[in-house]
Amino acid sequence: MDRIDHLFNHYANRSSSHLIDPEGIEELCSNLEVPHTDVRILMLAWKMKAEKQGYFTLEEWRRALKAMRADTISKLKKALPELEKEVRRPSNFADFYVYAFRYCLTEEKQKSIDIETICQLLDIVLGSTFRAQVDYFIDYLKIQNDYKVINMDQWLGFYRFCNEISFPDMSNYNPELAWPLILDNFFEWMREKQA
Amino acid sequence: MSNQKKRNFQIEAFKHRVVVDPKYADKTWQILERAIHQIYNQDASGLSFEELYRNAYNMVLHKFGEKLYTGFIVTMTAHLKEKSKLIEAAQGGSFLEELNKKWNEHNKALEMIRDILMYMDRTYIESTKKTHVHPMGLSLWRDNVVHFTKIHTRLLNTLLDLVQKERTGEVIDRGLMRNVIKMFMDLGESVYQEDFEKPFLDASSEFYKVESQEFIESCDCGDYLKKAEKRLTEEIDRVGHYLDPKSEEKITSVVEKEMIANHMQRLVHMDNSGLVYMLLHDKYEDLGRMYNLFRRVTNGLLTVRDVMTSHLREMGKQLVTDPEKSKDPVEFVQRLLDERDKYDKVISTAFGNDKTFQNALNSSFEYFINLNARSPEFISLFVDDKLRKGIKGIVDVDVEVILDKVMMLFRYLQEKDVFEKYYKQHLAKRLLSGKTVSDDAERSLIVKLKTECGYQFTSKLEGMFTDMKTSEDTMRGFYGSHPELSEGPTLIVQVLTTGSWPTQPAVPCNLPAEVSVLCEKFRSYYLGTHTGRRLTWQTNMGTADIKAVFGKGQKHELNVSTFQMCVLMLFNNADRLSYKEIEQATEIPASDLKRCLQSLACVKGKNVIKKEPMSKDIGEEDSFYVNEKFTSKFYKVKIGTVVAQKETEPEKQETRQRVEEDRKPQIEAAIVRIMKSRKILDHNNIIAEVTKQLQPRFLANPTEIKKRIEALIERDFLERDSTDRKLYRYLA
Repeated sequence: MDRIDHLFNHYANRSSSHLIDPEGIEELCSNLEVPHTDVRILMLAWKMKAEKQGYFTLEEWRRALKAMRADTISKLKKALPELEKEVRRPSNFADFYVYAFRYCLTEEKQKSIDIETICQLLDIVLGSTFRAQVDYFIDYLKIQNDYKVINMDQWLGFYRFCNEISFPDMSNYNPELAWPLILDNFFEWMREKQA
Repeated sequence: MSNQKKRNFQIEAFKHRVVVDPKYADKTWQILERAIHQIYNQDASGLSFEELYRNAYNMVLHKFGEKLYTGFIVTMTAHLKEKSKLIEAAQGGSFLEELNKKWNEHNKALEMIRDILMYMDRTYIESTKKTHVHPMGLSLWRDNVVHFTKIHTRLLNTLLDLVQKERTGEVIDRGLMRNVIKMFMDLGESVYQEDFEKPFLDASSEFYKVESQEFIESCDCGDYLKKAEKRLTEEIDRVGHYLDPKSEEKITSVVEKEMIANHMQRLVHMDNSGLVYMLLHDKYEDLGRMYNLFRRVTNGLLTVRDVMTSHLREMGKQLVTDPEKSKDPVEFVQRLLDERDKYDKVISTAFGNDKTFQNALNSSFEYFINLNARSPEFISLFVDDKLRKGIKGIVDVDVEVILDKVMMLFRYLQEKDVFEKYYKQHLAKRLLSGKTVSDDAERSLIVKLKTECGYQFTSKLEGMFTDMKTSEDTMRGFYGSHPELSEGPTLIVQVLTTGSWPTQPAVPCNLPAEVSVLCEKFRSYYLGTHTGRRLTWQTNMGTADIKAVFGKGQKHELNVSTFQMCVLMLFNNADRLSYKEIEQATEIPASDLKRCLQSLACVKGKNVIKKEPMSKDIGEEDSFYVNEKFTSKFYKVKIGTVVAQKETEPEKQETRQRVEEDRKPQIEAAIVRIMKSRKILDHNNIIAEVTKQLQPRFLANPTEIKKRIEALIERDFLERDSTDRKLYRYLA
């Protein structure tokens, strides 16, 4: 317990409040030898149930490291693959997916995320499992003009899409059903490209 | 006395002592046999009925019934065999006559014999359950004559031959036919059907197969149908004259099948004479005939209806999508009304007002009217045209009739809200320019629209009328309280309640001094009596009548728009003005000003102003001066146009956009209404319900509905169900 707190203080000593701030996280990442934008950091945040993007509180830190049984950097580093496996379990992944979106809502009362951020997030969160869908969808998001932001409903819709719809033929997709409109438009766009 | 039993009186005729003599039966039978011969030989006059009856009676009584019965059969059979030889020997036409004659004789004989053998009929035959005398007599005839191989086929062929002859126009002996065929009927229904009716129907089928093929190759549709009808009538007539009434349905079925059902498609689609030709050329008689004939066969009317529907749709589609025809909206709508009248007449005159055809007509019109997105606008323009003053010879009653017909077209529109928008615009122009043919006609149409669409559709329109009325009263009040203003220019103000009238942005404009003074006086008068209101002058909607004197003293009264008045009044103080000067003085925005100057300077016959250079368009470097040489044969010259016109492309886009914007809250309101009552509903059902609710106003687009649902989700009115993502849930 002490060692976990001690480790926390090491990264938190740069900020005035008793938090690990973005700079601290950067240092943490380099110590873990994990890129700053790696999905595993997001997974760590999820494990912590971190509320504010870019900051870890002591409580959150304790929560994760205790569960992962890590009180040193090397132990934490070794525990990362196990963490990844845990997150990717179907029972947890949906929760993680929702968490990832919420984590990016930085302003109070913010409900949607701008397209650019969404593209990055999709890449991080779904890139390894649904590479093709993510790449095509990101392409589409960048060229379309109907939406400047994505909301939770659309975010969740895309996850369903990846899981349920065969790709790239999309033969079981029906735009007359309750899919979010943005996916209907994506479907049309894909069809036009394939023709 | 009372003891005595009453004895039944029995008259026993000639009872003599019966001796059971073995030869008795033979002797008695011989008497009877001889009698039968005589009867058959037409030589029965010397016979005593009563004696013969007694003989037969005695035979049966003494248990010789069988001998009697058998003897009867044998004797009759022998006779019939003989007769059939005679019949068979007859040549040509007399064959049938012989048969008929022998048949009649046989019947008469049979009757007599039956009477003589009546006792046997009632006792011996009853108890032994053998065939009675009369039916037996008929069966013997059938077996020995009709089914006699040498007669059987020949008889049938002769009959069929005669029918054929009659069909080709020859006259035959119908009485003879009737008798012979009745013979079949008397011999029993199965004999009639097997030995005559079935072969008759087969032969008829062949005949009509061939004939219909001939006709269809050589006749046009109308003639063919006439022929078919004629044949049908003939066959019914034939049945009436010499066939069993039960055959009527069967033979008409044959004719219907061969002549109509088999050639239905070819007839209906015949080039230059089929259904489409008949419809185009109002051939009511032919159409009526087609209807009556085709309704007799399965899918006959369906075929006619389908061809009519696709023709209507095609014609309608061409009509509404032809750019030539859309040039004049009034012509466009008139053409639609004419077409509808035409087909209405066809259905009522030739198709007996058949409801299914009415429905086909309505659905076709609904289909193609909505193919042209400008239909709502055009219908409104048509109404506008009819409701304006100046239509010669139009009487109130005529206007009513026209409005009712227009309502019919209105019902076909899917985008009724678009119509409403245009109607409001056009009505506003009509009211403000004082150009409606009658207030009653206007109100009558509004009532019709209200009945059709409900109160909300028309409540704002009625507000417009109220404003007009109130303004009149206000004007009276204004001039009443300012008697000094009776000299000088007359101001007529219409005070319009915002919200009832189509929205127009207020356009800046500097009014000439004389006018603005009056306007101010009015403003203070009005606001004096109506506190808390704000008045904004709509200078882009006004008109003015100004008196002008030109170079040679020509006097004219010019009817112009307010903008045009502002421009013209400037020339009271300057002979020549540049564009920029005019612009500065009037402060009218450039596009409006250019249009205004164009109508004053560039229109032949109305150019009270001249422009330099004399180009077609108004340029910002142009200069203007009064056209002192202006002439017109009319004292009053109308220059301003406040007439409703077909919108230009950009205007149309704008209106369409406004309509789309107006639809969004309506869709959302419908969604919320439905979800509030249902609480949970799946996607497809929401789409269906919303579409249904909005259908009286417009056809809701499923994509648009989806957008609105998503907007409502974002605003937390609805949410998706967490387990079944097809469902939506209402959030209180």
